[in-house]
Order: sequence, then structure tokens, then C-alpha cells
Amino acid sequence: MADLLEAFRLVAQTDVIIAILAASVYGLVVGSLPGLSATMATALLVPITFYLSPIAAIATIIAASAMAIFSGDIPGCLLRIPGTPASAAYTDEAYAMTRKGQAELALGAGLWFSAIGGIVGTLSLVLMAPALAEMALSFSTFEYFWLAFLGLMCATLVARSSPIKAIAAMFIGLLVSCIGMENPAGTPRFTFGITDLLGGIEPIPALVGVFAVSEVMRAMLTAEPPPLPKRRFGSILAGQWKLTKKYQWPMWRGNIVGIIIGVLPGAGADMAAWVSYAMSKRFSKEPEKFGTGHPEGLVEAGASNNASLASGWVPSLLFGIPGDTITAIAIGVLYMKGLNPGPTLFTERASSMYALYLIFIIANIIMIPLGILMIRAASHVLKAPRSSVMPVIVLLCAVGAFATGNNLFSVLLVALFGCLGFVMERNGYPVAAMVLGIVMGSMVETNFITSLIKSDSSVLPFFERPVSAVLAFMTGAALLWPLALLFRKRQPQPA
Amino acid sequence: MQLSDRVTGAVIATVGVAAAWAGSRLPGVPGQDVGPSVFPMIIGGGMLLCGVLIALGVGSSLEVPEDPEETPRPWFHGLRALLPPALLLFYVLTVDRLGFLITAAAVVGVTSLALGARLRLALPLAVLAPLFVHVVFVKLLRVPLPDGLMAAPW
Repeated sequence: MADLLEAFRLVAQTDVIIAILAASVYGLVVGSLPGLSATMATALLVPITFYLSPIAAIATIIAASAMAIFSGDIPGCLLRIPGTPASAAYTDEAYAMTRKGQAELALGAGLWFSAIGGIVGTLSLVLMAPALAEMALSFSTFEYFWLAFLGLMCATLVARSSPIKAIAAMFIGLLVSCIGMENPAGTPRFTFGITDLLGGIEPIPALVGVFAVSEVMRAMLTAEPPPLPKRRFGSILAGQWKLTKKYQWPMWRGNIVGIIIGVLPGAGADMAAWVSYAMSKRFSKEPEKFGTGHPEGLVEAGASNNASLASGWVPSLLFGIPGDTITAIAIGVLYMKGLNPGPTLFTERASSMYALYLIFIIANIIMIPLGILMIRAASHVLKAPRSSVMPVIVLLCAVGAFATGNNLFSVLLVALFGCLGFVMERNGYPVAAMVLGIVMGSMVETNFITSLIKSDSSVLPFFERPVSAVLAFMTGAALLWPLALLFRKRQPQPA
Repeated sequence: MQLSDRVTGAVIATVGVAAAWAGSRLPGVPGQDVGPSVFPMIIGGGMLLCGVLIALGVGSSLEVPEDPEETPRPWFHGLRALLPPALLLFYVLTVDRLGFLITAAAVVGVTSLALGARLRLALPLAVLAPLFVHVVFVKLLRVPLPDGLMAAPW
């Protein structure tokens, strides 16, 4: 109880409240601009969080990412261009509703069910995390190795491309994480005599390069999206209660699927939306209506992607294993602010954890009024031509990367990773898998090498402890899954 | 830059071999079997395997087909994509000498013009965006951005 009161005090600070509001507006605007994803919004925020108090720093990330995932629905609905990848799954459906003259209903559903999904996801975080923390206290390096490895494998499983390319992308990330002296022996590796590389490659310049610079590079080659026709909106929330009652079961299914996908390391909001939309169609009583402007899939997938956002924090807070690319960034911020992820976070820093839950709830509640304002302002925001937004992004990439260490070398890294991300994306290599490899590389290696030293180079102990045996089995299954997929795909083809 | 799976697979396999070879030459830790060389060698081996599989086209049937490219463009059109990283390189090389405001104005202005903006938009943007970023990062966040030839008016 004392912790909870302390948490209220932490959140009620002026700087935290300002941070939440400012980050919300920022998230709404960036999320609504096509091509600027929620991950990019978060990555560009990190340099700012350096200079904020710990709670305010985390608040900006939570608020900005939640808002960006919702507001990605806006251009999807009005222009048929998803603002963030997480909205791509149901963009056609939402646009079909707009064409039927139900733009308010579609946007309202996006907003209303995003907020519900976010709150249900937060509740799952509140309930699940402490229980798992209890269990995680008994974990040794063996379990941590398998967990981290499983996280990497999940990231490759859910990628919507060839699993082999995803695994290759993950290996590239792991190789990047090898650079520097931060290995169990403290030997400089792959530094090529460059002193700037001795400290290793920080994830932030890599993230900014891969998610922001490569996006600007893509914009250089593609045509400008069409301008938004000006329109007046009726009531946004009218009819949402009716939808909630009518599609109660799909909504809960979306929430639960979102939570499960969020908890899986490496799989995030975009995957949750795709899976939920497909499930909604599969189990619907009227599947023939899907694609013609039917709100059911919107309800389920809209709830799902926001639910996954909160539950993605479960593995991040407990094990330091990111649930998706956004929490991969958040973990870096947690470390920087002295809130090192781990099961003890829930016992020793309980008030900070309660504060984090509170921020999630607040962000999802203020999402409704701010979201309505954003929808009404959308025609003005979306009028901003790309040629005025993208230059500012390039500048922020440079300054933001510089601010992470007052070092121009980071700016160079941003440019390099921008090129790498651009080439990888173009050739079907999922960049998210590489990012997770970079973020988790040293964790996988440290636990692997420490375990090997402990076991005197024997691999048997990796499978002897009960929990690590289960995790090993799951990892093996994740590894073999692509083979099964390949096999199944091949079977029906001979005819 | 669309490359065939053969090329990208071969590149990945080559990098993998190089990583494994360079890793194997790292000095070990006296008295221990495992050292800094284990992890790069595993990664290198994995990349070699993946690279070969990709080059052979295994798993390509699972890929979501790409959207068809729009109208065919001359080859140098693709080079436009290199502009943002080139501008970042320009920033790294000149910011200390020219100062933040001038370098940033050049970066913003060129990007804006390259994306098809008129001078009427690009010029004010090139003046205002650096000033705004300067206020946020130098005044509020205390990041030491270099003054160079032109110091900010505050």
C-alpha cells in the first residue's frame, strides 16, 4: 500500500505529467504520418529521455508508443495507407468502412478498442509480472541462456518472410553485438584498430539508422501519398458501446491473443494485429462480410495490437528480454536510469513498477480525448508534405545520435545502419530480427559462456535442470518449425 | 537495391566465414576451454549455413511476394536513396568547422528539395528547423552542439 501511494506521488510530479502529455501529442502526430512507425517514434525519443528523471523517461516511451500504435489507424482508415505497420492488417477493412460513409465508426472503433486493449494488457502485466518474478528468482545462467535464445528464435518465427532470412538477419545482429570489448574475456573483437569501436556498438544508433534513416531513404524513391480530402466528422464515440456489446467475444479474444503475442519475446504489435485479424475472420459468424467494411475484425485486431504493447513489457522487465522492438529500446532506457530489468525489480523497486502501471493506465485513458482531437486535426496534420517532415527526421537522427554520447562516431553509425537496414528490407531480410540480435547478443553470449565455464564445457547441464529442459524443448520446437512449414508447403504442390 | 538471393546469400556466407576465421584467431583465456572465440565462431558457422541455404533458394517459397515496382526508372534513380546517409556523412565531416546551424540548414534544405519541395517551403524550413532543434537540444537538454562559424542568437 505504501508502495502504491509512493507510486502516485512519483507519477503526480509536474515533469512526469508534462512528459506524458508531450509524448502523447508527439506519438499521435508521428504515428499518424505514413512511413513513420511507432518504433521510430520511440527510437528518436531516447536521446531526450537521457535528460529526464527515470519515471518521466519511461512515461514518455509508454505514452508515445501507445498513442502511435493507435494513430497509425487514422491514415489507414482515411487514405488506405497504414501509419504504422501495426495497422496494416486491417487497413483495407477500415478504408472500406470509410467508403461506405462510416469513417467515424471505423476511427472510433480504432480509438475505443485501442484504449480497452491497452488497459486489459496493462492488467495482464500487473497480474503476470509479479507471479513470474517469483519463479524467475530461481533462474540460473542456463535458464537465462535458453530464455534469451528462445526470444531470438521467436523473433525469427513471427517474421512475415522466409524464416531462413530471418535467422540470417538475427545472426547479423549477433555479429554486430560481438564488436568491442564487452565480452566475457574483455578481449577487443572486430574493432579493426578503431578506438570508437572498443566500447561496442550501442543499440540506439543502430535502431535510429535501421528504423528512421532507412525510412527516409525509402521515401526518396517512392511517390508522395495523396493529400487527405478535407471532411467534417460526426461524433467519434457514438455507436462504440453498441459495438462493444455486439462484438464482446471477439474483443476479448483479441485482447488475449494480443497479450500472448506481446509476452512472446520478439513478437510485437504488428504480429498481434495480423494474427487477430485472421482469427477474427476464421471464427466470425459472417466471414463473407470481411473486407467489405465490417467492424468485427477492426474490433479484434485494434484491441489486440494495443494489448500486446503492454504485455510486451513482461519479459522486458523480468528478464531484460524485449517483447518487441519498442521494448528493446525501452530496456536500454531502463538500464540507463538504474532500473535494471530483473525479478528483483518487483521487490526492491516496487513503487517504480506501480508507477509504470499507473502511467500505462493514464496513457490509455487520455488516449480517448487526445485521440478524438487528433482525428479532428488529422486533415491538417496529414496535409504536411513529406518534404517538410523527412528533412526534420534526418536532422533529428543526426542530433539524437550525437546526443547519446556527444560523439560524432554515432552519427556515422546511424548512416551505416540506415544503408544496411535499407538493403536488408529491400531484399526480404526482416530488420527487427537483426535489432533483437544486437540488443540481446551480449546477454546470450554472457549466459552461454558463463554456463559453459560453470559446467566445465559440458553441454549436459543445459538440459538437466527442469525449467531449462522445458525452455530447451521450446527453443528446439521453434527451430524446427520453419522446417515443418517448408514441408507442409511442399506437399500439396505436386499436382 | 534489389539483389538476387544468390548475391545476398553469398555475401552472408562470406561474412560468416570471415567472422569464424577472425574469431578463431582471438587469444583464449589461460586455463579455460571457452573464451571470446566461441561465440563468433558459432555465429560465423550459422551465417555460412544460412547464406548457403538462401543462395540455394530454400525457404523462398514462404516469402510474401513484393509489391510490383512502379514505372521503370533509369538506374541512377536508385542512387537518390543514398542521399540521407550522404548528408549524415556531410554532417559528421563539417559540423565542427561550420557549426551546427549552418550544417543543419544545409542538411534540411537539401533533403527538402530532393523530396520535391519548392524553394518557398525549403528555405524557411532550413532556417527554422535547425533553430528549433538547437533550442530543444542545447537550451533544454544541454547537448553541446558546436557553434562553428555562426553561434545561435541566444
